[in-house]
Amino acid sequence: MNSHWSRRTLLGGGFSLGAMLAGAPFAARAQAAANGPPPKFLIVLSAFGGANLIDSFMAVRESESPNAAQLNAYPNDLVQTIGEFRAIDLKSKAIGAIPASFTANQSNFVKKHGSDMMVVTRTGSSVNHFVGQQRSINGNAAWKGRTLQEAVALTYGQGHAIPNVHLVNGTGFTEHGTDKSIPTYAFGERAPSPNLWPLSLDGYKGVRGAPQRDLFEAARRLRNDQLDPGSDFFRTFGQSEKVKHWQGLREDSLRGVEAQDLITKLMLFPDSPKMPLTASGLKGSDLGQKVRDAFPNYDFDPLESQAALAFLLLRYGVSVTVTLGPEGAAVFKKGVTLGQGGLGEGDIVNTPISFDFSHQANREVQAVMWDRILKTADRLITLLKSEEYAEGKSYWDHSMIYVATEFGRTRKRPDNAMTFGTGHELNNGALIISPMANGGRVLGGVDPETLMTYGFDPATGRPDKGRTMTESEIYGGIVQALGIPTPGAGLTDMRVMRRT
Amino acid sequence: MIRHPLIVLAALFALALPAAAAAAGPSEVPRNSLDPRVKLKDGDRYLRDLSAQLEIPREEICKELLQYDCFRDAFRIVLGGVDAADLGVNEPLEQEALTAPIALDRVALRVCVTRVERDLADPKHAVLLRGAGPKGTSPSPAWVKRTVQGLYDRILARDATPAETAQLMGFYQKVSASASPADTKVKDWVTLGCFAVASSVENVFY
Repeated sequence: MNSHWSRRTLLGGGFSLGAMLAGAPFAARAQAAANGPPPKFLIVLSAFGGANLIDSFMAVRESESPNAAQLNAYPNDLVQTIGEFRAIDLKSKAIGAIPASFTANQSNFVKKHGSDMMVVTRTGSSVNHFVGQQRSINGNAAWKGRTLQEAVALTYGQGHAIPNVHLVNGTGFTEHGTDKSIPTYAFGERAPSPNLWPLSLDGYKGVRGAPQRDLFEAARRLRNDQLDPGSDFFRTFGQSEKVKHWQGLREDSLRGVEAQDLITKLMLFPDSPKMPLTASGLKGSDLGQKVRDAFPNYDFDPLESQAALAFLLLRYGVSVTVTLGPEGAAVFKKGVTLGQGGLGEGDIVNTPISFDFSHQANREVQAVMWDRILKTADRLITLLKSEEYAEGKSYWDHSMIYVATEFGRTRKRPDNAMTFGTGHELNNGALIISPMANGGRVLGGVDPETLMTYGFDPATGRPDKGRTMTESEIYGGIVQALGIPTPGAGLTDMRVMRRT
Repeated sequence: MIRHPLIVLAALFALALPAAAAAAGPSEVPRNSLDPRVKLKDGDRYLRDLSAQLEIPREEICKELLQYDCFRDAFRIVLGGVDAADLGVNEPLEQEALTAPIALDRVALRVCVTRVERDLADPKHAVLLRGAGPKGTSPSPAWVKRTVQGLYDRILARDATPAETAQLMGFYQKVSASASPADTKVKDWVTLGCFAVASSVENVFY
């Protein structure tokens, strides 16, 4: 534990530096952050619908299970072993009843990033999508109900304009936690449409015909300092918490955001007929071409646009945590139109309801969606590795990708069926990818008789068939690997989940 | 609007105070509401109100990048809306987004720029910038005062107080003294006066 942590730890009991600075202006928070430890970045890559480890890194061969015919054990030749991990590379002419062929690959990712991959088993407490999603990020209220993203924003986000950004929509992975002591800046900020959201980061730039900026700022001061405080409306209702909150945002956070020219830095698009930036006095990000090369479908695939913006948010020091992931809508390859005589190879990029389409065709959906998740993670890692953070360390050296999912999928199948549907199952696990995690490891194991996962010793990692891992334990392991002090939280020391 | 009944209620409350307190005079009222419940207008309501206040059709009032509706396409969720069908966002944000006041300022500025440009293009039907005199000449104080009253009448449906009038007239002096081109000073002042009133707490809450 270094001196920074010691100072923070002394504050104890959740009364952290972040909490002390909760009401402090952005500049004061930024100054405090400059004296603190270098940030760690958390990327929550959500896998809506149940990303099943039994269909990926903990797959079981038919020859290994005495009940293989009735359980989701894979034909031997489909299961690869790479280090401690398994991988399934699957080709199919259809996704259940949908005649859409695809080729999905897991092994490439494992070969490339296996040393940073850590798979942990976990048994959840709800098979309700929304509740399970929430618990995957708050550990079932493991630490006062604060989410992983809030914990990271609170610890490392003081000097960042928008520490916690939520890019994925319509899931419980972005719900606020229930810890009311968290300062406002640590809450997730929703960026619902990555392509246009940067326009909300500057009240002036790009408004053609507007007076000079200094006059605009003078008008803001006139409003804030004279017109508003003097109005009868304000004198009557100015004590409203909503009005006070609005004033706080208007005067403090606004400056922290606008001062960084984020409307330019985070603009994914180049000038084009669809996004006529130049005509509006705007331009695209200096790193725009780089992220567009990495995510070439950014203009129509929601996940690619989220991932592209996520990288820019981290790279430009805007955020310390971003949450992204596939949503509920089906996504097709660009140019594909339905009702034109069938779908071609790889035309379905995202199955309807994402992983949850496993209800119809478990193996095919798991293959397509894991492929999508891993490709997104690979490109993000590659981008983060390509940018130096400081002292020869890349952004990736400070980062963690947590593939959050709400539950697993049931294990049964009709006799030897290749295509079959599955339900929701509490028992599963999680994938964590990070140089800070205990990479190259599968922590826990699978019972070949049931294909249910079992746990591990938190200190040594020794597999333990007599236990399962709780949401709280995995939550603790993640915050600890991220170097977040948790005095008084009562979390289990998950020593084996961190590298050092 | 709910605002007016609330102010009336506050005034009635003040009238009910003991005589000694009431004798303090009209400058002391209204007093703090004992239960200050107000709501922030969502972007749709805000733009509908501005559309009516400034006589700009709703479909033309605010376009980002020349083509995206400021609320429906650009800032729907940030400005308190929902989008169940496409985004799966079924409820407005629990608390205003960090970027909401920025987006709202941007919308207000864009709307006011549009209004003033329309006034200049069609002086006969001007709404805010009316009868300023020949281009490049300084308007009279009476015109400045009338214009301030016009801003408040249009946007807040009430008279400007003497203090508000003085503050905006003072702001005119600041704009006049700025480095902006002489023939744009009046335009700039009306635009920014409109912005300041349109983005005031009184106009964005109800």
